[in-house]
Amino acid sequence: MEEFPPAPDVAGTSLDGTAIFTISADENAALCKSTGVEPASDGTAHPIYYYIATQVAMGKTVAGVCETCEFDVEDGPMMGSSGVRFSQQLMVGQDYKVTGQILSLVRKKSRKLGVMDVLTYRLCLHPAEGGDAVLETDNVWVLPRKELAA
Amino acid sequence: MTAASTIKPGDALPPFVIESVSPDAMRDWSVFLADPNPIHLDVEVVKAKGLGDKRINQGPINVAYMMNMLMAAFPGCRIESMDSRFLDNVYEGDRAVASGEVTAVEGNRVSCDLKLDVDGRGTVNAGTATVLI
Repeated sequence: MEEFPPAPDVAGTSLDGTAIFTISADENAALCKSTGVEPASDGTAHPIYYYIATQVAMGKTVAGVCETCEFDVEDGPMMGSSGVRFSQQLMVGQDYKVTGQILSLVRKKSRKLGVMDVLTYRLCLHPAEGGDAVLETDNVWVLPRKELAA
Repeated sequence: MTAASTIKPGDALPPFVIESVSPDAMRDWSVFLADPNPIHLDVEVVKAKGLGDKRINQGPINVAYMMNMLMAAFPGCRIESMDSRFLDNVYEGDRAVASGEVTAVEGNRVSCDLKLDVDGRGTVNAGTATVLI
């Protein structure tokens, strides 16, 4: 990528959160209904809360993460992929907190999008009272760099 | 789908169908996600950004559809891991079908390929998952 300036060096930026995230029974029920299913009767929350809880309670907003990457959120970041590894199921009523960091920001050129930065960050969800993470998720976002378009 | 002993690679998972993706659900998810991005809420913004003429479903909802398919295919299962790639947008009114296929079975651990298709536009999300049954 010699023809472009390098992507900002943001690997290692902390995304540790201070907020406590609690999955309420009412919200879990509404979320399940919105996706076409009934909530579980055993106290477990819909597993998509892996994404919601970590995203909402991490230490930066999406706009803030973009700003760290010197990218204007108004330029349209795009989700590339999302992966999760659960060690425990998510529970309604449990308080959770988030730790995490940016893993990498890599500048690339694609035929479809032109110059773009590929952002990868990892978030872990822990019981708020402490203890091992109940899940780890890696999210990849594509940040199109219109200003670097040929 | 029932006991692990009856499940084998190549088995198709029963599809989970959303007959019409709802803009009301998008409004709800803007609250769940604490993300009021107007491309999920306002058709005029979608048009102004050149992204089409319908509201765009939030990406995690599409992942939830595939999770629902897995949990219906393996009642009582626990999702151990899942990866998904976002290939295209899902729009309000789309008919979305989540489906999958078993790729491996090891004890009570079942690995699957997953996808989400939209009528007329093909696969918009694809991935893999491992569930404990």
